[in-house]
Amino acid sequence: MSEPISLALVILVLPLAAALLTASWSGEILKKAAHWPLIISCAVSTVLAFLLVGQVTDFATGRIISSPVTWFAAGKLKVNFTITIDALSATMLAMITFVSTMIAVFSSGYMRGDKGYARFFAVMSVFVFSMCGLVLANNFILLVAFWEGVGLCSYLLVGYYFEKPSAAAAARKAFLVTRLGDTGFLLGIFLLWRMGGWHTDLTALFDHIQKNPPDQGTLTTACLLLFCGAVGKSAQFPLYVWLPDAMEGPTPVSALIHAATMVTAGVYLLARCAPLFALSPDAQITVAWIGGLTALLAAFIALAQTDLKRILAYSTVSQLGYMFLALGTCGAISPTFAVTAAMFHLFTHAFFKALLFLSAGSVMHAMGGVIDVRYFRGLRKRLPVTHITFLCGAAALAGVPLLSGFWSKDLILESLTEASESNSPYTAGYFTLLLLAFFTAFLTAFYTFRAYFLTFWGEEKIPEEAGHHLNGAKGGVHESPSVMTLPLIVLAAGALLVGIVLEPFTHWFSDFLGTTPSLGQVRTPSAVSVKGEEHHFNWTIAIISSVFALGGIGLAAVMYRKGEEKLPAGLEPVFTLSRNKLYVDDIYYAVLVKPAEVLAFLARVFDGFLDALSRLVAAIPRFIGQWIRPIQNGLVQFYALWMAMGLAVFLSFVFRITR
Amino acid sequence: MSTFPVVRVLVLLLVLLPLISAVLVPLCGRLARRVSLVIASTHLVLTGVVILAATETLSIRAAEEIRIRGDIEAQPFHPEFVPGDTGGRHGNEQRTSWTLFSLSAVPAKPGTPGPNIQFYLGIDGLNLWLVALASFMIIPVILVSWESITEKPGAFYGWLFLLQAGVVGAFLAFDVILFYIFFELTLIPAFFLIGRWGVGSGRRDAARKFFLYTLAGSLLTLIGVIGVVVTNPHPATGQLTFSLPDLMVNVQHHMHNAHQKALAGDPSDLAARHTTQFWLFVALMAGFMVKVPIWPFHTWLPSAYGEAPIGVTMLLSALMAKLGAFGILRLVLPLVPDAAIQYGLPVIGSLAAFGIVYAALCAFASKDMKMVIAYSSVSHLGFLVLGLFAFNREGLSGSVLHMVNHGLSTGALFAALGFLLERYRTTEMNRFGGLMGRFPGFAFLTFILVLASIGMPGLNNFVSEMMMLAGLFNARNPGVQGLGLAVVAALSIFMSAWYMLTMVQCVFFNPLKEPEPVTAVAAPDVTRREFVLLGTLVSLCLALGLFPQLLINTMKADVRVLSIVGDSARARVQGVPYVYEDEAPPPPLVSPGPPIGAPGPKGKGGGFKGKGGKGKNPLIGEEE
Repeated sequence: MSEPISLALVILVLPLAAALLTASWSGEILKKAAHWPLIISCAVSTVLAFLLVGQVTDFATGRIISSPVTWFAAGKLKVNFTITIDALSATMLAMITFVSTMIAVFSSGYMRGDKGYARFFAVMSVFVFSMCGLVLANNFILLVAFWEGVGLCSYLLVGYYFEKPSAAAAARKAFLVTRLGDTGFLLGIFLLWRMGGWHTDLTALFDHIQKNPPDQGTLTTACLLLFCGAVGKSAQFPLYVWLPDAMEGPTPVSALIHAATMVTAGVYLLARCAPLFALSPDAQITVAWIGGLTALLAAFIALAQTDLKRILAYSTVSQLGYMFLALGTCGAISPTFAVTAAMFHLFTHAFFKALLFLSAGSVMHAMGGVIDVRYFRGLRKRLPVTHITFLCGAAALAGVPLLSGFWSKDLILESLTEASESNSPYTAGYFTLLLLAFFTAFLTAFYTFRAYFLTFWGEEKIPEEAGHHLNGAKGGVHESPSVMTLPLIVLAAGALLVGIVLEPFTHWFSDFLGTTPSLGQVRTPSAVSVKGEEHHFNWTIAIISSVFALGGIGLAAVMYRKGEEKLPAGLEPVFTLSRNKLYVDDIYYAVLVKPAEVLAFLARVFDGFLDALSRLVAAIPRFIGQWIRPIQNGLVQFYALWMAMGLAVFLSFVFRITR
Repeated sequence: MSTFPVVRVLVLLLVLLPLISAVLVPLCGRLARRVSLVIASTHLVLTGVVILAATETLSIRAAEEIRIRGDIEAQPFHPEFVPGDTGGRHGNEQRTSWTLFSLSAVPAKPGTPGPNIQFYLGIDGLNLWLVALASFMIIPVILVSWESITEKPGAFYGWLFLLQAGVVGAFLAFDVILFYIFFELTLIPAFFLIGRWGVGSGRRDAARKFFLYTLAGSLLTLIGVIGVVVTNPHPATGQLTFSLPDLMVNVQHHMHNAHQKALAGDPSDLAARHTTQFWLFVALMAGFMVKVPIWPFHTWLPSAYGEAPIGVTMLLSALMAKLGAFGILRLVLPLVPDAAIQYGLPVIGSLAAFGIVYAALCAFASKDMKMVIAYSSVSHLGFLVLGLFAFNREGLSGSVLHMVNHGLSTGALFAALGFLLERYRTTEMNRFGGLMGRFPGFAFLTFILVLASIGMPGLNNFVSEMMMLAGLFNARNPGVQGLGLAVVAALSIFMSAWYMLTMVQCVFFNPLKEPEPVTAVAAPDVTRREFVLLGTLVSLCLALGLFPQLLINTMKADVRVLSIVGDSARARVQGVPYVYEDEAPPPPLVSPGPPIGAPGPKGKGGGFKGKGGKGKNPLIGEEE
């Protein structure tokens, strides 16, 4: 076993060990110190992951695949435990472990005193383990295993406050909606298995399909089925409805799982499967449209929400839509560029969205659990650190020039521009999507700063609950302890700087990710022009997007600087529509959930009917018996009569034949 | 092959021990439950020894490659450790000499000896783990019944052992009539267990319905069994046989000859045989469809599961439901393969697929947790039947594995309900809530079992479900258009999560709500007995989910036999010559040169040899 593989395995095993340790000792020793195993294992894993990133560029073929160990195999199905390390997985690994460390530290302060403290950290450790496994897995079924593993952790953590009915319902909803997507995912995997030379190992499967291009229709079907899984996990239209509800979980969970890592698994999946998707332009444009529509839809819904965490949740949905937009151009443009754009946005988004959620958590901590922006105002004096870090995150998300979000969004817009200029059959579609993306950027800036102004500006207003808060007992509402603010500051630095350092001038990120072998080998169908790896900065796009971003912020400042929600008369219906989430949840309930429940009820009723039917069949012999029972009346004369008659008939019959 | 005389005795004991206990335990009176536990543990130890011996033998056989020659199609099952084997006579195929009953008066032709009904037991890859399941599951059943059965415990445990004897016997039998006898034997104890110790007011009715319904079905199966025997005499001597391996060879031979004629331009013989097979298929399936059960013949199940005491429900779901599926595997697939290909997936498969969705809906609408799990069992077993009728290696291995997995996880879920029954005497869902805070230990264990049941990776059901799904994707059966069945099967994985998590949400989440407890003191979390019980089941689920290959390897050789039968049937139905296709090219032989004992290349129409030489590996020939 080579050194990088063992390194990766150590990264994988550490959180698992932490989980086992926390779970098995939660009763006694670790009750108060349950956070240490997770923090230590995450910190060590982070260091190792960065070591791994350093090693990846030295790999001869750009990747290392561990020797497979059979999990199960029968006939043509062979499923192996096997992992692969390349630039893509190393990047993800570094990002996951780093953000996890920050959030683990934050949680140790945020969750302190909660009665499920140990349970929280045990499940978080399992989550980090599963997430690392997900990005390392080199086998589709193994990937599904970790994929479901993160889903399970999400379920458990959304339902962390299990006594709260809304949390219990949200947990079930999150699991089921993503599971619906996973059903498609599984079908897609087996369809690929069937046409891809019966391979389930990712690398072998991709090689086989590269060499024997399959039927276009089947490939598109398989790609779209895989995309189903991504749509569920990454909360894209039409399966995004679970993510806003998932905010019922503790805030660090929202930050780690429902913003920075798990929800990006779908993006990672498509990036990993880029060699397949690039072969199918139809699948690509579908991905792009779903991404674009989701981005717009979610941004629109975020406009009028009042729950701070839900605003951020819809914003996550919207930003994930951006990533899928970029992934959808792969094939029309160089897959390396498309994937880099998406992954870079994923990377920067992880920083600023985790930051925003943790800041929101800090606000919630201070407000005694209240998170509705209608109930508090003007907190910038009370929570100075949180205010600044939230501002950093909001600016990065809004795409303020020179901050992380600006650079990564710029790459996505550029990839769309290039796609609309390529000779792909769908250039008009890509151009429409580009316009859509610009408009969404404006909305993003607007709703982000709406939330910011409503929370931190205007006249100070603090809800009653904050007074009862444990920490606030002495001097009223005050800033969170340093164990919470420290991660905020680190992440804020990341949100500000990580973009400008890694990409626009140095091209470190794209150069590094470009070494991923699966991206380099992609052969796009027909003669789609694949532009060179080097892309230059597009001033037009940068300026337009800056104008949109600053415009959105400006508008928000004009409307909400006073910290009050006053709407111009004309916008009222629009905001009502947005506040009611476009009625999507209600429509789903009326069209899908309720009919399914009614159908189930009818099936149960019908089952009783079926039972009655079988009883009816069983009753037939008894019925016949009752009908002929009078013959057995016990009168000997009667029997004798019948006997004689029978004999007579029989004898006459016999004699007629013999005659 | 290697002869382990001791293991043969043990195989015999696997059936005899529960039979004897069934008589002895009722005499023990108040000590019955302790004695039963000891006996059940002894049985488990015996099974363990048999497994140890068998895994080695079976793995050796799985590693061997079948040599391609003319009569490749004529592959029988290879029972190992057959009690009463005289050895030597038949090469590496073990036969028993213990004849129960000789039907010398009914020779197929004048001058030939009549068939013998034999006490023919044996272990092979298909039944090994099911026997293990049957041997193991009785222990949780005893532990669950520990406190709850107070009325005549001796008789109760006696009937339990009789039921176990029937199930183990049916799994082990290699004589079709013996199989049928054991198959029906299980009805009697089940009838009394439901009727006398049942919990509901409708228990007698439920027991009667269960008994009559399954009996009505399985009498048709008996007709089918006899029909198969009568229509498939030995091709050369015309002798009838009840021995399953011999029957398989005869069936394959007759079909092969008819196929050759059809290829040569005379399809009448093949058509006639297909018609015969169709009717035999209908008759055989009648009993198994009720037993599995497949929609719409499942209506005995909700009442039987609901009225039976929880331990018996465990046995019914974990073991008896497997008998139906095992019957399909053991009798239907090898004995009427062409009909199984023609009508298996299109007709039975469609019913099963419909049943998957239907039962899932019923499970969702059920208010009693016992009913939820009962219906979920119907849904899962529909998936299992789909996997069986895909009739290829992935599907068959997956189905056999799923029989074990499903038995384990469903039985375990019922055991978990036993926990609630003992404390509250009810499993009504709406009366519970927030038990996660009340019983954290119980909630943790049950939650893992729920996860196993909804196919969470890392736990047992996921593996077998993936294999069956692969089997459906690789199904090449004519008449199956597209992947509709695979889509329904995949949907079932979603639907299981739908109803199970709804149950979890209601019972374990939400604010605390508990019905009137049985005892005055507050009900405790898992006791030591319950912890051992549920903990063992949970760890087995985990072990089978992480290391399933151990099981799959042992069944490989027999799955291969069945898949060859399936492939040749497929070729006959499609009217193309059969070509043997192995999963991988045969590895190079250790000794170069022409293999000893293997006949030279022969045409497809080559003569049919006696049972002796075929299937025998030349390497083994050298050893002898």
